[in-house]
Amino acid sequence: MISPTALAPQLADYLPRQRWFGAKDRKIELVRVRSSEVLIGAGDWPALLRIDADVSLEGVDDARYQLFLGLRPTGVACEFLAGHESAVLGEFETAQGQALVYDALLDSQLALGLLLVVAPDCPAERVRPLGAEQSNTSLVYDDSMILKVFRRLTEGQNPEVEVIETLASVGFGSVPEPLASWRKDGVDLAFLQRFLAGASDGWNMALTSLRELFAEYNIARTPPPADALGGGATSPLEVDDPAGARGDFAAEAERIGEVTAEMHIALAKGFGCTKVTGADWAAAMEEQLERVLGPTDAALAQGARVVINRLKDIADPGPAIRVHGDYHLGQVLRTDTGWYVTDFEGEPARSLEERTRPSSPLKDVAGMLRSFGYALAVAVSYQEDDLSELGRAWEARNREAFMAGYLRKAQFDPETGNEPILPRDPAVRSAVLAAFELDKALYEVAYERANRPDWVRIPLEAVRRLTGTAARTV
Amino acid sequence: MSEIDRMDERWYQRAVFYEVSVRSFFDANGDGTGDLQGLIEKLDYLSWLGVDCLWLLPFYSSPLRDGGYDIADFFTILPEYGKLGDAVRLMEEAHRRGIRIITDLVVNHTSDQHPWFQESRQSRDNPRADWYVWSDDDKQYADARIIFTDTERSNWAWDPNRQQYYWHRFFSHQPDLNYDNHEVQEAMLGIVRFWLNLGMDGFRLDAVPYLFEREGTICENLPETHQFLRRLRKEVDAAFPGRVLLAEANQWPADVVEYFGDGDECHMCFNFPLMPRMFMALRRAQRHPITEILAQTPEVPDGCQWGIFLRNHDELTLEMVTDEDRDYMWSEYAKDPRMKLNIGIRRRLAPLVENDRRVMELFHAMLFSLPGSPILYYGDEIGMGDNIFLGDRDGVRTPMQWSPDRNAGFSRADFAQLYSAPLMDPVYGYQALNVEGELRDPSSLLHWLQRMLQVRKRHPLFGIGSFEVLSAENPSVLAYVREWDDDVVLCVNNLSRFAQPVELSLQRFEGRTPIELLGRVPFPRIGELPYLLTLGPYGFLWFQIVETPLQ
Repeated sequence: MISPTALAPQLADYLPRQRWFGAKDRKIELVRVRSSEVLIGAGDWPALLRIDADVSLEGVDDARYQLFLGLRPTGVACEFLAGHESAVLGEFETAQGQALVYDALLDSQLALGLLLVVAPDCPAERVRPLGAEQSNTSLVYDDSMILKVFRRLTEGQNPEVEVIETLASVGFGSVPEPLASWRKDGVDLAFLQRFLAGASDGWNMALTSLRELFAEYNIARTPPPADALGGGATSPLEVDDPAGARGDFAAEAERIGEVTAEMHIALAKGFGCTKVTGADWAAAMEEQLERVLGPTDAALAQGARVVINRLKDIADPGPAIRVHGDYHLGQVLRTDTGWYVTDFEGEPARSLEERTRPSSPLKDVAGMLRSFGYALAVAVSYQEDDLSELGRAWEARNREAFMAGYLRKAQFDPETGNEPILPRDPAVRSAVLAAFELDKALYEVAYERANRPDWVRIPLEAVRRLTGTAARTV
Repeated sequence: MSEIDRMDERWYQRAVFYEVSVRSFFDANGDGTGDLQGLIEKLDYLSWLGVDCLWLLPFYSSPLRDGGYDIADFFTILPEYGKLGDAVRLMEEAHRRGIRIITDLVVNHTSDQHPWFQESRQSRDNPRADWYVWSDDDKQYADARIIFTDTERSNWAWDPNRQQYYWHRFFSHQPDLNYDNHEVQEAMLGIVRFWLNLGMDGFRLDAVPYLFEREGTICENLPETHQFLRRLRKEVDAAFPGRVLLAEANQWPADVVEYFGDGDECHMCFNFPLMPRMFMALRRAQRHPITEILAQTPEVPDGCQWGIFLRNHDELTLEMVTDEDRDYMWSEYAKDPRMKLNIGIRRRLAPLVENDRRVMELFHAMLFSLPGSPILYYGDEIGMGDNIFLGDRDGVRTPMQWSPDRNAGFSRADFAQLYSAPLMDPVYGYQALNVEGELRDPSSLLHWLQRMLQVRKRHPLFGIGSFEVLSAENPSVLAYVREWDDDVVLCVNNLSRFAQPVELSLQRFEGRTPIELLGRVPFPRIGELPYLLTLGPYGFLWFQIVETPLQ
């Protein structure tokens, strides 16, 4: 429809303007169109074109992107492009005449058409974009299905598609049901799942819980005079303990713990278990520790080494399994039918190999525990007073509840025939968990130093706590 | 609870005032009338509520023909209220709790029972013969209007003893003092020093515009009056820094500002028209009655402050407004029979807003965020009602309703002995509505108000910050920004009984995040587009605009 040679130079200008383009800071040296296929409207308007292109970047490896381009005759008003000027690629000559070319995913008619290409069995009437996203683009159909369109393409299976399909195949019900995947030559292009309409993520629910707790406390700390209350009568406003406050999150934290354990059991079942030693895991941890703390804080580094050495000495720290990899409160969604786990792509900054590398399920557990700490720090930052102490009581309560739920479900049950996913000995388990939590906190220290220096104190506090206490039992 | 800070000389700019009638508040000795000891016993309650300063209605010896504004002796306490020692103790106990006290001081006139007047009327040549304004005929100062038209025919009254007329701007039993007499000025300054020495934190100066009389004028707001106020202020500042003078000048804001002088007369003046404007805005479901009067309200000099209120026993009456051209709204106002009724009859807040809790909250939210120091009227914090069948001001001075116990918990006297029966109707009666009940109910108006005051206290900008009304296409929405230092608060009010949307231009704050002030809930970041908010019926929102925090 459009000649690749006409398209390529325009793309070099167009790509850096797109939110999902990952290398905005790099100069594009060359764009080469690998393939171009007409999905909709050969010889007709509007048309939908899928472009597969290699992008050569200055100083880094080439990247492969796919684009969905819409074509409509020039001069015809396209209301859906209002406010999306950066989504317009330009005007091109085609066999059918002059055409305006733009990001087709903004065009409802073409977005609905794309669904028929990906999943002919799943018709829909309405479509909307999901909103702010970074690396991919998602379309929601009829508020019941979500199509994740991968922008950057990688050889081999996309970890998200791989994990969700595997989990569903072994009967794990707490991921959004996979409906269809669109794959060409072993490369995942798009993934259709059940959309969890009306879901709230755990992060926002935790912040709501903390906000309620702080509000109760603010009321309770200015009690009215007893005589005005009618002598011996007690005020109903005495709550300053998370257990008795409104908006308590512990029951939810416990459910998240249960779902997490079920997920790990299913991952072990679907991807298998590998036998490792503590030293296998400790090696990467030590490397990070030296990089993050070594040069700046000798005492803290020494404390951290003790925690990691403890893991190093463990011959059997439990099996390595496929894990979520980037597990925190923002990755779990509360719906009317319970908690769901999402986003199995792993920490985006890491390589595919790293992201899919088996690890301890306690790595995910550590991620979630750290997330409670972050929730409290963020919630406290919204308050005018320093309510950290009360916040820490909330954190302790929810860690405990999460662990209770997790351990109850993760406990080895010979009757199921599943392999055990955790070390038997609670002391070993605690040591492994402490090391992973420390490792996560160190990762956060590095991340905050680079991105949000004001927030470094949050993970640093965790590092101090984790190194100050001997193998804490949770 | 902490002591008042004597170094904080401008406390009144950030203070929340509470107007209280000693008679009506709490009866400690069981004689059926509230007293100073009773007020002392309720200081903890007031401290909890978040009150910074009490304004006591007159507590001096008086024949009580004008609610105590007819003072018979400036140096003694009305016996039912207690003794001078009780007043001193009240000030000490209040100060210990960080609460200041101001009281009414009637400077313009005394009771005809005051010994000064009794002496003055004895003859034309006694030592105080000249302390009041005497005349052989009643023709002088004919341009001065009669204020209490219901009861008075003339500003002159005949004294058969002295065989002369005496001048009175208010009731005929309240002769005006003669401020042209140097001794009168000295005597009044002596009274001021006396109370300030005892620890009083200031005065509400009653009826200040009328101190002097000059032929050919309306005898209000005369230059001589301002000269005396400057003298008074100088005396107070020199010996008693940090004490406050609050002028009752029932005039338009543009005239009232003269009572601030150049910051060298009164520290505070009431903003009388604001409250009726809030009512009109509510009736019209649009903001313009409020924004218009705010636009006409001049800046106050440095160190000065408006006193604003929802209810108070003083009202701006229609008769006081002579210049209709100044504000076309007033002619409209007078056309609305219901508004006229409200303004003529003294009522409490709750009955005025048909006991609508949402409106009470909205009005308090505006009272606490508009420019000025808010003045609460006792009982309004629990939404108390009134008894309009009691005459004059008594309808809004029924006993404070403390509990569902006998006599509303106000007094242990026999019911028949009470100075006034507490309200007993099924809606506002003390069994349904009282402090104890509201304290036990965490969702009560009382608890809500207390929390609002806690929030207000944290942001000095509500007292001393700049004030800017934001334009909004929706006329039912009143939005404004208060700023001080680097603190910014956005207030949005819905004057309509229906939910309303509003788009606000907040470009100045682009990239920052509004955090709702009561719950500390972060709202979406402010972008370059107009900021969309939705308000529930009579809803209001307060936001602190902060640098966008971590998500």
